[in-house]
Amino acid sequence: MPVAITLRSVTKSYSRGGETLRVLDELDLDMDAATFYALMGPSGSGKTTLLNLVGGLDQADSGVVQVGDIDLAELDGGELAQWRAEHVGFVFQGFNLLPVLSARENVELPLLLAPLSKRQRREQAERALELVGLQDRMDHKPRELSGGQEQRVAIARAIATDPQVILADEPTGDLDRNTADAVLELLQRLNRELHKTILMVTHDPQAAGYADKVIHLDKGKLGRIDDNRASSAAGGR
Amino acid sequence: MPWKLLLRNVLGHPVRSLLTVGAVTVAVFLICMLQAVTSGLSRTLDASAANRLLVQSAVSLFVDLPLAYQQKLAAVPGVEATCKWQWFGGRYEQDKGGFFAQFGIDPQTFAPSYPEMTVVAGDYAQFAATRTSCIVGEQLADKYGWKLGQTVPLGGTIFTRTDGRPWEFTIAAIYHSNSPAFDEQSLFFHFDYLHESLEQGGARGPQGVGVYMLRLAPGTDPLDVQRSVDAMFENGPQRVQTTTEAEFNRQFISMLGDVPALLRLIGGAVLFAIFFAVLNTMLLAGRERTRDLGILKALGFANGVAAWLLIGESLLLCLTGAALALGLAGALEQPFAAATATFIPGFGFDRNTLLLGGGIALVTGVVSGLLPGLRAARLGVTEALQELG
Ligand SMILES: Nc1ncnc2c1ncn2[C@@H]1O[C@H](COP(=O)(O)OP(=O)(O)OP(=O)(O)O)[C@@H](O)[C@H]1O
Ligand SMILES: [Mg+2]
Repeated sequence: MPVAITLRSVTKSYSRGGETLRVLDELDLDMDAATFYALMGPSGSGKTTLLNLVGGLDQADSGVVQVGDIDLAELDGGELAQWRAEHVGFVFQGFNLLPVLSARENVELPLLLAPLSKRQRREQAERALELVGLQDRMDHKPRELSGGQEQRVAIARAIATDPQVILADEPTGDLDRNTADAVLELLQRLNRELHKTILMVTHDPQAAGYADKVIHLDKGKLGRIDDNRASSAAGGR
Repeated sequence: MPWKLLLRNVLGHPVRSLLTVGAVTVAVFLICMLQAVTSGLSRTLDASAANRLLVQSAVSLFVDLPLAYQQKLAAVPGVEATCKWQWFGGRYEQDKGGFFAQFGIDPQTFAPSYPEMTVVAGDYAQFAATRTSCIVGEQLADKYGWKLGQTVPLGGTIFTRTDGRPWEFTIAAIYHSNSPAFDEQSLFFHFDYLHESLEQGGARGPQGVGVYMLRLAPGTDPLDVQRSVDAMFENGPQRVQTTTEAEFNRQFISMLGDVPALLRLIGGAVLFAIFFAVLNTMLLAGRERTRDLGILKALGFANGVAAWLLIGESLLLCLTGAALALGLAGALEQPFAAATATFIPGFGFDRNTLLLGGGIALVTGVVSGLLPGLRAARLGVTEALQELG
């Protein structure tokens, strides 16, 4: 079942050296199910913070973060971890993979938390790697992979447990144009074919072009939301 | 629990892991050795006979007692037999660097007083009947490949022959011992042969007796005998000190200083050193893996798993080291026991020693893993993810 995400007057502050920095300020946001969102904004505007709140990696100071029919504020640490394992796939900013494990083993990691046999885990991991086009790189260690391949392994790991929500923090930040396009097409396919709700942080307008909608964030406040589908319909992109 | 990850983390730093395992191996091995020496010493004391007393000079073990004391000692009520023990201190001509103990004794009372000794080759009666013969321990005979009837040349150090030639003792019997308090690396010969040589001018050296052994009749209170003997020579010519065999052995051991205390001190220092070596490795490992731990937690692994990854790694290193150390100890037990038999006849690894070694490794593993492990458990996901990989 595709999952929608709702934020209601969400506030998140960090205190550093006695100073309190309000990173997200009374934020309201509605994200439709099975939609591919890009999240843009200047550095330090709170994009990663927002992603962490939606993914249950951190909790809001106040307000409601609802993913599907779950209000994340009602889960304690252990429940939140379990919820993440079942419902969210992450692609982090920067290095994503455990260097000592092979591509397949990295993808199998989140499956260790699911009630699966060893054989099922292996099959599911291999299927995810095939989906991202890395069936011939399964036994490679991260340092034996290119940057684009590493990100694709990270995406394979994010979808291995078949979560409805995928959160990606600058997945193409370190990639060249062609590699980035391949990764973005992959995310787009996951959205179109498997109906995943995707929230992707990016600085790159061209990357944002792959999304259905683009959310602009500035200094913890929501800016405008562009609908690429509407503009492409109008502009004939 | 991602066991594979734990193992890969260890194998991911082969040099560091190897050094840590090596340090644990050396330390556990050393501690086991020290413990084996300490418990060997106490086994020797425990195995000392209760029905034997030793009479020595009250001044020191190095001062001789008059020969005439023997008759008086034999007359003390409760004393069943007496036997002289004289330290010879000779040097084996064929192995001048080696060392083994030789004593002049009274053959008639020696064997009956030491039932822990059994003759396995030759004939004790022949030894007792032949003035220039000797009886040697099984291990000693094996060490030098001695056969019955063979002559052992010993260069005198305390007792020298006037003709300048070495002393010669013919092997009449070989004994086996079933007590850790009685070693198999000694040579015993006739005290009378030594004494006659001194009297007749064939040799030079002190004329007295180092120690008298008193064998007590069954049912005798050693304390009574001890008191009457000490009282008997209260006014000279030589005051004596009478001790139980256990007490005598203890004094002999402590001539080297308080050995057990010293060994414990060294053991403690070694323990301290490995603890910090392993802790250092684990703190380093914990820091390095901050981002990995953040990723694991983000994927939904519990805080406990993060902690166990580090505690498990620490345990793996320590227990591998301990296993190697115990293997090494097993392999070296025999050669080491043979080399030290004269001083520590009871040397050996018993179950407690091995448990101690394993236990130390276990505790070191848990404690060194706990510090980084607790940090890993408390680590916030978002902070950990901000760390560069
Ligand atoms: N754990 C933290 N403690 C203190 N301050 C933090 C913490 N995490 C983030 N911040 C601050 O909050 C603000 C928003 O951070 P965030 O990581 O959400 O920005 P971002 O939009 O993702 O930026 P970038 O594009 O550089 O990744 C920044 O000023 C950052 O310094
Ligand atoms: Mg960010």
